[in-house]
Amino acid sequence: MSHDKSSPDFLYHHFYDVNQQYETSKLGMWAFILTEVLTFGGLFVAYTIYRAWNPEMFFNANLLLDVNKGLINTIVLIASSLTMALAIWAIQLNKRKLSLLMLFLTFVCALGFLGIKYLEYEHKFHLGQLPGEYYSYMGPEVVQEIHDQEKINHYIETNNIFFDKETNRLYTMNNPHIFFGIYFIMTGLHGLHVAIGMGLIAWLMVLTARGKLHARYYTHMEAVGIFWHLVDLIWIFLFPLFYLIG
Amino acid sequence: MGDTNQNYLTHPKGIMSWLLTLDHKRIGLMYLFGGLFFFFVGGLLALGMRAELAAPGNDFVSNDTYNSMYTLHGAIMIFLFIIPAIPGALGNILLPLMLGAKDVAFPRLNLFSFYLYSIGAIFFIYVLLSGGVDTGWTFYTPYSTTSNTNVMSTTMGIFIIGFSSILTGLNFIATVHKMRTPGLTWYKLPLFVWALYGTSLVQITATPVIAITMVLLMLERLLGIGIFDPAMGGDPVLFQHFFWFYSHPAVYIMILPAFGIISEIIPVHSRKKVWGYKFIAYSTLSIAFIGFLVWGHHMFTSGQSVLSQIVFSFITYFVGIPTGVKIFSWMLTMYKGQVSFTPPMLYALSFLFLFTIGGLTGIFLGAVALDIHLHDTYFVVAHFHYVMQGGTIVAFLGGLHHWWPKSFGTMYNQTIANIAAIGVFIAFNGTFFPQFLLGLRGMPRRYATYDPQFVEVHSYSTFWSGILGISIFIGVMNLLWSLRKSNKLDPGTNPWGALTMEWTHTSSPPHPHNFEEEPVLTHGPYDYDKVIVKPTFKK
Amino acid sequence: MSEEHHITPLKTYLVVATALFFLTAVTVWASYIDLGSFNIVLALLIAGTKAGVVATFFMHLLWDDKKNATIFVGSLMFLSIFIIITLTDTEFRGAVNPEIKDPINKRAALYSTLPLTDDHGYPLDKENNHHEGDKDHH
Repeated sequence: MSHDKSSPDFLYHHFYDVNQQYETSKLGMWAFILTEVLTFGGLFVAYTIYRAWNPEMFFNANLLLDVNKGLINTIVLIASSLTMALAIWAIQLNKRKLSLLMLFLTFVCALGFLGIKYLEYEHKFHLGQLPGEYYSYMGPEVVQEIHDQEKINHYIETNNIFFDKETNRLYTMNNPHIFFGIYFIMTGLHGLHVAIGMGLIAWLMVLTARGKLHARYYTHMEAVGIFWHLVDLIWIFLFPLFYLIG
Repeated sequence: MGDTNQNYLTHPKGIMSWLLTLDHKRIGLMYLFGGLFFFFVGGLLALGMRAELAAPGNDFVSNDTYNSMYTLHGAIMIFLFIIPAIPGALGNILLPLMLGAKDVAFPRLNLFSFYLYSIGAIFFIYVLLSGGVDTGWTFYTPYSTTSNTNVMSTTMGIFIIGFSSILTGLNFIATVHKMRTPGLTWYKLPLFVWALYGTSLVQITATPVIAITMVLLMLERLLGIGIFDPAMGGDPVLFQHFFWFYSHPAVYIMILPAFGIISEIIPVHSRKKVWGYKFIAYSTLSIAFIGFLVWGHHMFTSGQSVLSQIVFSFITYFVGIPTGVKIFSWMLTMYKGQVSFTPPMLYALSFLFLFTIGGLTGIFLGAVALDIHLHDTYFVVAHFHYVMQGGTIVAFLGGLHHWWPKSFGTMYNQTIANIAAIGVFIAFNGTFFPQFLLGLRGMPRRYATYDPQFVEVHSYSTFWSGILGISIFIGVMNLLWSLRKSNKLDPGTNPWGALTMEWTHTSSPPHPHNFEEEPVLTHGPYDYDKVIVKPTFKK
Repeated sequence: MSEEHHITPLKTYLVVATALFFLTAVTVWASYIDLGSFNIVLALLIAGTKAGVVATFFMHLLWDDKKNATIFVGSLMFLSIFIIITLTDTEFRGAVNPEIKDPINKRAALYSTLPLTDDHGYPLDKENNHHEGDKDHH
């Protein structure tokens, strides 16, 4: 095994050369991306089926989501994808400090995303717009929740809100808890991925700061980058599917 | 490079060197013994059920216990034995050796995957000891959302084992693509590698769906999200779609590696080049793909739409084409070869017979009209045991006998092994063939008691199931008995005269780093027409 | 060797990010226009374009070994198989037996205190004749 003596310290013993190691890791990462797509895929199937069955309910329930927060989060995630890509670009050119800065910005964006998500969730918990049995939101404030006057008119026109005198509740939808169930599971699983991604980015920052990653060896960063872009990519679909049901 | 007497079993030494090993061969052995342990547990449960069914009434166990027994028998056999056994054990040991690689692509991930398997196994042991679970291994809603047995622990166990399976598949895909020794092109790969590759593709594609299904089922129980539970506005048939989108391809996760083993055993023990190499290789991939399109044939009586019944039934027949291609290729490989009746070959021949019956009865069940009559009867039970036990487990035992001298450097008693193999074949047919008749006569599955008209056939089946259990036990014990110290073979031994790289380029048992020097490819895996290799067998 | 890896120019990244921001604005804007069922198609087309751009440039698929792109496209293909074949069941259930067409519980037990309504929130026991006409567009 002739290469043993000349091989760099980051080459694991069972590979022939650095390139084989790099390509193998990337292929493994893409196989992992496939499993991620199929994991979320199951939830997309559930979404599709229930939306096809309850188009009205999905439309009405979607009005209870905050488009602005969703939009800000979309922008934050795209920005973080850009900084992640730039971190790899910087390390390829051996600009370690710039790479570190870009990783830090990515981390901050991820934190911002989760912060906004927290505000959104907190509001929904407060109103009882919860999944499954815990859904308790049938209150009359449904109209006040929407700030756009045009939407309010549209909402009242299209929904023919029914007021139940006995229970003093305003009722508009059949089985809205299913929408919120799917919403919370999909965004929750996505949020979990963001949190895991933050951990991985923090780990990359440590590795970069210690000088373990450089222009000749940045496989970790490339792999985490692919993961992070996937997180962005899934949100690109979640945003219109939940927040923008026109 | 170092001491030639070094092998992976003895070097390095110590319990920690096993628990923290990154060596694929050691991880494979740990999978092997884990799998065999759960094979034993699942087998005991099966024998317990057969004992209960020997007579019509509730003789030994209550209905609730019986429900737990068939659920755990199914879940343990599938998730803890059959799915991990061939890829996890034989695949791990052999794949890098067959590729001329020093290890799998991601050794740490490989060990992690084994530990995930172990954690999942602990969940199952907990379920087993704490009263069981009674939903059937399929966990159909709505019952699984209301059953007050251990549904949560079992689904958690399956969720974790699912990740173990995904990571093994991912590792193997990267290994096959990137770790082949120079010159080993795709068409020079042993067919077992093709089979593992096809299996891995199914593993990484289908298994995530069972993971998310199990999560949704747990959430359904915790929160009542209303996706699968009709009381909350959900659709129980949708659960079946989710479940079978994984579990039908999972059938191919179980059977494809078995095909791979048979493709190895038959040419070696017939001393003949494999017939239709490319046919076998590509039929593996096409089975893996078609397997994703047919899941609804498990749901013909579930209330799914007529359109999907027609679509699923139609596509199901297509599975028969690549499978038939394989069967005929194996038979043509044996044609005019020097077939020797060694233990691996006896298992392979049993496989051909039993799997063909299993496959052909599958075509009966793929027809909607017939399936509505046979659904949930013993006909289905017999069918999938012919495929799973007569197919996969028999092939696994054959592979174990074939590569036992390679893995451990010892040879078992071949006469006893032959007797056990014949015993398995006869007793298997004795146990399961009558169940086709029971099913045709309307005996439903999953009942502890039955109408007295079935008693003769049931007790006949029970009798042979005992013989089957004893035969398998003797076969495995014979293997384990060969491990005694005085039984070492010469490291250069090649008892079957095989030509694949794990036999020709490394010692038995192999060196800790697989090959003492970089392997140079001199011949293809089945070039029995070009290279003369004599079986060597010395102590 | 890793020195030989393709290094994407900075400009490409910036152009891609700008395109992504632009498409986000377009999708929000489009959602406020009533296009009937074309709304969802348009939203998915835009999302698909964005996803394609992210995968091609940010995830480096354009310059990678084509195996990686094959795996990614394969994952989408298997997902489509899952969705489409499941829809052949759920969308065609009533063809022979109309009574199995709808989900078992249009209104889950959760809301048992409220009277059953139609898709628009009207109680089913009241006269809603004026309402029948606009059942189909939403």
